[in-house]
Amino acid sequence: MSTVKPKTGTGSLETFNILHGFPEALVRGMRNSFLLDSDYHHLTQCETLEDVKLNLTETDYSEALADMDSISPPQMQSVAIQKLVTEFQYLRTQTIEPLSTFLDFITYEYMIENVMLLLKGTLSGRDINELIAQCHPLGMFKESTMRSIPTFENTPRGYQDLYQTVLVDTPVGPYFAMFLKESSQLMGGEVRNVLEEVEIEIIKSSLIKYWIEDFYQFSQTLGGDTAEIMGEILSVRADTNAINITLNSFGTPLNEPAMRTSDRKRLYPAVGHLYPAGTSMLTDVSDEDELGRVLELFPQYASIWNIHAAGGGDKSIDDAFYERDVQMLELAFESQMHCAVFYAYVKLKEQEIRNMVWITECILQQQKDEINKFVPVFSHHAPWRGKGK
Amino acid sequence: AYCIAGQHWRWQLFFRPSSTRSTMAEVPPTRMNEQVFKAKKKAAQSGHKLLKKKADALKVKFRDYAKSIAETKSNMSGDAASAFFSLTQAEYAAGNFKQKVAEGSLTARVRVGAGIDNVAGVKLPVFTKYETGAAADNQSLGLAGGGKKISAVRDKFTVLLDMLLKLASLQTSFVTLDEAMKVTNRRVNALENVTIPRIEGVLDYIARELDELEREDFTRLKLVQGKKEEEAKEQQKKQTATAAKENQEDITAMYDATDDADVVF
Repeated sequence: MSTVKPKTGTGSLETFNILHGFPEALVRGMRNSFLLDSDYHHLTQCETLEDVKLNLTETDYSEALADMDSISPPQMQSVAIQKLVTEFQYLRTQTIEPLSTFLDFITYEYMIENVMLLLKGTLSGRDINELIAQCHPLGMFKESTMRSIPTFENTPRGYQDLYQTVLVDTPVGPYFAMFLKESSQLMGGEVRNVLEEVEIEIIKSSLIKYWIEDFYQFSQTLGGDTAEIMGEILSVRADTNAINITLNSFGTPLNEPAMRTSDRKRLYPAVGHLYPAGTSMLTDVSDEDELGRVLELFPQYASIWNIHAAGGGDKSIDDAFYERDVQMLELAFESQMHCAVFYAYVKLKEQEIRNMVWITECILQQQKDEINKFVPVFSHHAPWRGKGK
Repeated sequence: AYCIAGQHWRWQLFFRPSSTRSTMAEVPPTRMNEQVFKAKKKAAQSGHKLLKKKADALKVKFRDYAKSIAETKSNMSGDAASAFFSLTQAEYAAGNFKQKVAEGSLTARVRVGAGIDNVAGVKLPVFTKYETGAAADNQSLGLAGGGKKISAVRDKFTVLLDMLLKLASLQTSFVTLDEAMKVTNRRVNALENVTIPRIEGVLDYIARELDELEREDFTRLKLVQGKKEEEAKEQQKKQTATAAKENQEDITAMYDATDDADVVF
């Protein structure tokens, strides 16, 4: 698979602003829209959802929530995501190459999820409008493409057609092609068999793996600070995926020795600090102790693993990973003249939306003692910022 | 003699209390009927005692069920809250996976069987859970994050499902038991307040009628006896009168062959 080649590099300290100065300025302005520590504090003190809405009117979300009389967590989530999508699309229209391709890459992740949803949904015979409503708005492709997916017949020939005419045009087509090629080599089956038999999560993990690798290659060719910072972020993302896949595969069919080499190994991305030595060790891991021993060799993950091993009570490994991600993404904002701020912005906004939904759900379900278990973004009290500034 | 009693009996028709009114037209007051109704009363009373025992047994069971329902419900509220909260935690860690679960193959892994339990003669429905042994789908959900939380959700909701089944079983039994209790109580009350008084009324009536008949017979007998005595007295008088008259005219009349009655051996 040949990675998209950018027409020019993004330039360096002197030349970046010529082409990309305006979008970067926009993104830095948008950085102000994040909820502050005080906002989070007020929100956690709320007793009802009306209070939450009241508090949110003082933040950047006031317009978005203005026409809702009463918020519920799912509604709030969709409204917040819609706001993010609007901002992102505005950014996207202001950019030119190669930054525009970079932003597109960010959306591919959501496109993969949407495609999987549509395909699996049509397999189960769901209504197309329902499925489109469930798609993530950041990853929408052309309406016509989406509507044509379920019109194909539910036969092997139909899927072949579907793939050749529809998927090949979408940006995520190449990932699909690679996945299907690999699977049919292994399973000797047709397109349809692959889609039906392999679980949706495994297909998605494979596609994400290709996406991460592709994105990594692209950012390396961009050079400069982008390559450095994005490279680091994506490596960590790949490693997180590898560790999570391994950890969560215990107790599922994926952990059987036969499956480990054939299936699980294929899910580990070919980038990241754990690649290649770590991932080959991870392939053979069969339970948590062995996983712990492998991770001891990599100091940055050893600390995260210890949080998980220390006990499930307060923090889980997912929380630890979220914290580390937020720390790295915040660091991306610390320097200028690179594209990684855009990726960081999207991801940090996602974390903020997750936090807001968490707080609202806790208030709704009257679980006040758990309400502080979120990771605030750009917080002054973050553990890595030292004693309060 | 009977037709006088018959008139008396018909007159009584208009003056009986209502509990015995309907039987009045049908029951002739004979000794045989008295035996018949005595047997009926005995049967009704023993039936009443048995039904009362059944009603008491049902009442005890009813109270037991009510208590365990209250207990299960209060436990369930805590379990349900924690189950749904674990769902929130899983969504925080793994993103929205509800859609993916809905798309998966929906073959049931757990099924509910309906059985019948016999309590004091009342058939109550009970639900039992059994696993179909179907393959667990969506094992790899949350592969890229939050897998542990998702399996926690699975466990919590399984516990909740068990409680729900138990509660459903208890509640249907409770409703059926309630119905059965109402029916039994109604029968007990009917026996107590309607049937037995009616039978007793009939028995009373029969006893009274029989007494009345006896008294009538007695009076009649007495009358007849009285009359017979009077007749006998008159005859005696006549005899002594004719004997005295014949004494004054003829001494030899005493010896006339035709006067004396013949001696017959």
